[in-house]
Amino acid sequence: MGTLQNLSTRHPIWTFVVLVLVVGLAWLILAPWPPDLEQAMGRKRVFLNAILSGITLGALYFLVASGFTLVFGLMRNVNLAHGSLYLLGGYIGYGVAEVTGYWLLAFPVVFILVGAVGLLLQHQVFRRMEGEELRQTLVTIGISIVLADLMLWFWGGQSYQVLSPDWLSGPMTLPLVSSISANGEAVYLSYPRVRIAILIAATVIGLAMWFALSRSRLGILIRAGVDDRDILAASGVRIQYVFLAVFAFGAGMAGMAGIVGGTFQSLSPGEDTRFLLASLVVVIVGGMGSIPGAALGAVIIGLAEQIGLVYAPTYSVVFTFLIMAAVLAFRPHGLLGAQH
Amino acid sequence: MIPSVAERLNAAGSANALELRGVTRLFGALAALTDVTLNVRPGERRAVLGSNGAGKTTLFNCITGDFPPSSGTIRFFGEDVTRFPPHERIRRGLRRTYQISALFTGLSVLDNVYLACRGVSRGRFSLVRPRTGDTLLQSAENLIEAVHLQDVRDRLVGELSHGQQRQLEIALALAGAPRFILFDEPAAGLSPKERAELIEILTSMPKHIGFIIIEHDMDVALRVVENVTMLHNGRIFKEGPPEEIESDDEVQELYLGHGHG
Amino acid sequence: MAHVLPATAPGRLVVLEGIPAPVWGIGLLLLLMPALANNFVLFQIFGWSFILGMIALSLMVLAGYGGMVSLIQMTVGALAGYVVAILGTSGVPQISLGWPWWLYIPLAILIATLFGTLVGTLAVRTEGIYTIMITLAIAAAFFYFTRQNYTIFNGYTGFNNVVPPALFGVDWRQPVPFYYLTLGCATLSYLAVVWMARTPFGLALQGVRDNPRRMSALGFSVTAHRILAYSFASVIAAFGGILLVWQNAQVVPGTAGIPQVIDILVIAVVGGLKRPIGPFIGALIYAVLSVFSSDILLAFGMSGERFKLVVGLGFLAVVFFSPDGVLGLWQRWRARMQRSSRDLRPGGEMAS
Repeated sequence: MGTLQNLSTRHPIWTFVVLVLVVGLAWLILAPWPPDLEQAMGRKRVFLNAILSGITLGALYFLVASGFTLVFGLMRNVNLAHGSLYLLGGYIGYGVAEVTGYWLLAFPVVFILVGAVGLLLQHQVFRRMEGEELRQTLVTIGISIVLADLMLWFWGGQSYQVLSPDWLSGPMTLPLVSSISANGEAVYLSYPRVRIAILIAATVIGLAMWFALSRSRLGILIRAGVDDRDILAASGVRIQYVFLAVFAFGAGMAGMAGIVGGTFQSLSPGEDTRFLLASLVVVIVGGMGSIPGAALGAVIIGLAEQIGLVYAPTYSVVFTFLIMAAVLAFRPHGLLGAQH
Repeated sequence: MIPSVAERLNAAGSANALELRGVTRLFGALAALTDVTLNVRPGERRAVLGSNGAGKTTLFNCITGDFPPSSGTIRFFGEDVTRFPPHERIRRGLRRTYQISALFTGLSVLDNVYLACRGVSRGRFSLVRPRTGDTLLQSAENLIEAVHLQDVRDRLVGELSHGQQRQLEIALALAGAPRFILFDEPAAGLSPKERAELIEILTSMPKHIGFIIIEHDMDVALRVVENVTMLHNGRIFKEGPPEEIESDDEVQELYLGHGHG
Repeated sequence: MAHVLPATAPGRLVVLEGIPAPVWGIGLLLLLMPALANNFVLFQIFGWSFILGMIALSLMVLAGYGGMVSLIQMTVGALAGYVVAILGTSGVPQISLGWPWWLYIPLAILIATLFGTLVGTLAVRTEGIYTIMITLAIAAAFFYFTRQNYTIFNGYTGFNNVVPPALFGVDWRQPVPFYYLTLGCATLSYLAVVWMARTPFGLALQGVRDNPRRMSALGFSVTAHRILAYSFASVIAAFGGILLVWQNAQVVPGTAGIPQVIDILVIAVVGGLKRPIGPFIGALIYAVLSVFSSDILLAFGMSGERFKLVVGLGFLAVVFFSPDGVLGLWQRWRARMQRSSRDLRPGGEMAS
């Protein structure tokens, strides 16, 4: 929160602009639209759907990117196998849900299994390459190639869809007005229940992470380590344990995100690349090693993608790219990244 | 809008070579430098002394431009360079040596000096290889001779002795047409004979080149300068000619009692 | 890298100084190859190796001499290929403009180089480890964009029938002419890089790689040098990209898909990032594996489809045991042979 105060005092104009945008957006979402606005921008229901899809997609991106940003911020390891861990978690989660019939059970199982893979990688591989950042990254590339092919071999090239449990399927009504019906009554938006559930879960997880990072001893160490590696070495804590914990956690999160992605969308070869790229962009935009940054970046990118998809489908990629390029040009370390 | 040589020389006559006003540098909550105001005339030889952590190297880093000061201004020969990146300051005649030799160990001595000469002249992006008789190459050769390194001209810097590397550092600082040099502990790790050579090089430098020297070795420092500035905890603590500083009671208590280099 | 100067006497064929002896031998062999190899090998293995080698060389210039690992090279090449297809002739006449070759080839190189330079400006202002991420993300954006955009890039289908112009009455896509075309381009790129490394620019670039802070304190603009390195590398990648598109006779989004982009890094690393001949060695290994992998795998009783697994494991092996790539392996082996032969000299000194 201190950073936000800092930012707002130092850049009053930008803060004002952002405030105006936020208020404007809030009005667009909450207030019923007058007919002229509907003429210009299409139906409010479409807009609301785009916004909500953007935010829920952002929740998914946050789940994937949070592990990536912590690993990079703390260990300076660009883990290009992160997407493979996502997909692996998704496939395993699919298997667990199919076999046991319990969707929720997939989460802890996947967290443990994929987390164990992460633990193994950090302990057996990356620990021996301490300080050789490029080499570590090259290794992650090799691992991603190998994992991708193994997964293709084992699960084949078809799409898998993780079915959401009965108690989460179907639509729910949100307290958002989508239109006014002919007799003057407000019509409320209905939206898939599972997506809202994931949004809530991601928010809870995000808050828990942020809380842990700012209050717990381990968390404070991690944040200090992200800012300055030497502090960590000097603190007397066995850094290797911290690294192991962070990498395993990041891998576990990616795996769980795979289950979510498999529920929202689907799992197939190529999704690993897609979510790796999403993590990259989220972290470039939001800032390295920053959980709030990952959240901010994820929401921005999720919204940009969905709004672009709905209103300018051929150019949605360009939006994302322009956002990324703008951040790189004006704040090269990301919106909430530390200036080294 | 680069001033002509005549304009610059004119300015040099009237302006201070280096002028710091109220320079403060914060690292988070730590104030490495507080309100430093410093004036050095062109051609003046100054020593900046102080114990470890007094802020000497931070001062040099600020002057060179590694980072901007948190507040305050820096003027170089009358020009406000506070926001200039390092290479702009270097191209205006500032030079610097490093406490720990910052040389290109995988390249030869000639390559290193050639780079230094190239850095302050045109054609940095040249894709034309230098031929024999190239003026810049000639300058590099002359410089190597001036610091007595011609015997190891083609050796890789990584193979040189410590003393030779320190000599090379000085050669790099003399490349092009320096107007002001910052020497960061040039005597570190030198043998007595090498130290004497260093003193000779420093005292026999052309009169128009001013310098500031940071040193722990009082012998070297006080022998080659006209004025001393003492830093303590990031602030200027005392200023004056070497004899005054040497005999000052406070200085004796705080610094000279800590022994020589 | 070992010392770069002294200057050469006027009149000597300066460029050829930096080339190690074995490369001359290889060069001679390559000139005579059409007499030894069949058309398939000439076109599919050597031609492809020269092309991939050029693009990987472009990466090596940035990574080896500049200390920046960039994944944008393949994309730069693909863009050049796209421009050739769009401005020249192809099987998509509703988009292709049909301009003459002396217009579209230079324009393609120019546009691709501008793109590479632009990416450079975005990528160089942060620490090295970011470069991979940023360039990968931009490469991905290009891939998705070309796949979605139908007005200029013809989306998923891309352009087919993109062939070299019939200059001097030669069909340059025939195996033997294509072989010499790609050999010539690869040789020129190689020589250009060898030359560049010993110019003030190349020297400064290596200085920027080794100690950017020091270079800044010597008067060099570190950012400008890095960006210009991207420009130089992009020119080579652009030529490689055009040749690649001619070889496939088509350009599609998948030409610069993420697997292809990463493969270039794999090739450069496996070959060796320290010397300009490295990328070509890596490319040859890749091309041979690529063509013969299914046979090799079947011989081991595995499904012929597991090519990527072999590549991945091989790459991991190289990164683990010889980060300098194959070249590094060879140099270490040679050094060991020299040491042991010294040991065996009668009455000789023990190796230190």
